[in-house]
Amino acid sequence: MEKETRYLPHELIIQILLRLPVKSLIRFKCVSKSWFSLISHPNFGNSHFQLSATQTRRILCIPNSPTKILSIDFESSLNNDFIDFESSLLNNDFALLNPNFSLVSLQIKGSCRGFICLRGSSNLYLWNPSTGVHRQIPLSPFDYELKDYYFGHLYGFGYDQSRDDYLVVSMSCDPTYDSNSSHLEFFSLRDNTWKEIEGTQFPYMNASSHPYPKVGPLFNGAIHWLARRCDLQVYVIVAFDLMERKLFEMPFPDDDNIPTHCDLWVFGEFLSILANDYNNNMIEIWVMKEYKVHSSWTKTLVLPAFHSFDLIYSTKNGDFIGVEGFLGLVKYNDKGKWLGYCSYHRNPRVSQEVMYTESLLSLPGDDDQI
Amino acid sequence: MAQEASSSTSSKTISLKTGDGEIFEIEASAAKQMKTVQRLIDDLGDDITIPLHNVFSKELPKIIEYYKKDITGEITKDFEAEFVKDLNDDEVKVLFLAANYLDANKLFEFLSQNIADRLESKSVEYVRKYFGVENDFTPEEESKLREERAWSFRGIKEDE
Repeated sequence: MEKETRYLPHELIIQILLRLPVKSLIRFKCVSKSWFSLISHPNFGNSHFQLSATQTRRILCIPNSPTKILSIDFESSLNNDFIDFESSLLNNDFALLNPNFSLVSLQIKGSCRGFICLRGSSNLYLWNPSTGVHRQIPLSPFDYELKDYYFGHLYGFGYDQSRDDYLVVSMSCDPTYDSNSSHLEFFSLRDNTWKEIEGTQFPYMNASSHPYPKVGPLFNGAIHWLARRCDLQVYVIVAFDLMERKLFEMPFPDDDNIPTHCDLWVFGEFLSILANDYNNNMIEIWVMKEYKVHSSWTKTLVLPAFHSFDLIYSTKNGDFIGVEGFLGLVKYNDKGKWLGYCSYHRNPRVSQEVMYTESLLSLPGDDDQI
Repeated sequence: MAQEASSSTSSKTISLKTGDGEIFEIEASAAKQMKTVQRLIDDLGDDITIPLHNVFSKELPKIIEYYKKDITGEITKDFEAEFVKDLNDDEVKVLFLAANYLDANKLFEFLSQNIADRLESKSVEYVRKYFGVENDFTPEEESKLREERAWSFRGIKEDE
């Protein structure tokens, strides 16, 4: 009655694989050819993504003179505990695209379902760091034209679940603002083309304090940006609904004392503004308790900060990670209590960080990468 | 066979016979959680000893223990941790196969996750052995694949 290795039928193996984290599955692609095909298959990636109760989150960093792209596990205890992702893999992905490709001009424009949207000097890229899957996309027609103004330009990236489609959104506004110079465009991955949204004027420019325009957070099925209205010279929040494909505006909190250097984030379960008060070395966090309701803006937290503090990501229960000056990544709990840090060679004026989810997802139309 | 009103089965026990000929008792309400067993009861009646050809005397008591807890109280994380604590990877696999055969969904889900947790940091070689999968890559192919995803091998011991 001795049993040798009990072979598991294929369907049972899948049930186990679906419960493994992405890192393990990437490694297990090496088990055999059939495992490689299975794990690489879009259906498996989808099922895995749907099933995953706790998706692994990582922080992607382009630290400074960008010869490296780093990736750090959010959950790791952060006490200077090091970065466990080789940059060589990442560089290889990009070298494939263009032998002259340089990391120098890369800007992070968004992160959604495991894909990061990057703007290079002559193209946009969608890239899944976990699988290496990538796609090159042309710059928006008006981005290309207004190249000189691109620091004021707004880009966003998100997912339209009604069509299983990814959208890159581009908003440009000539800073001298005249009535014909603002444009709202989007690129649908399924349609594989840029379309302009006609009609209304879009007099919005990037108002983020960071040298690189900040990633527009995804919340409630819309991409949000902190913007400045070129015509009225006020701060507003502008949002693009990914299903309706429409723009709408929300007012900024009504408080003359809000420090001027602000960024927009999702904090816990709320849309939130993080304001850097450089004069007093403090940061203030405001949340919109009721989405779209102006009067619900509430200041919830004030923290001391040595240098500029940029929020990268916060969990549903309110723990958050950001970057602080030259220090690197810092982690706080929802009460503002310091939990740890992870330093790496960082130049606060140029480094960029974004949170991404590890996923095995593919992009629509992904038979061969370009 | 007299057809009893079997809705009040709270104290009724069912006899199960394993593939190696041993007999175990289980409460009817627990048996209900194992769809294969319930189907056999529906076909054969609840007075007969139900034959389970593919489950053996090593596994069945453990499965019965799980469902006994399920019907009397809540299955907690602590209970589940304790339940698998002394089982090695192969024993869990056998239990998992048995849960599948018995169509015992709750146990099946729990063991799927437990096996995944055990395999998470294991090497490629270990996984091949565990599932009985043959490596059909050439050495060159395999080393290229490993190099391309070197980051996923960090912190993993190559030998078990």
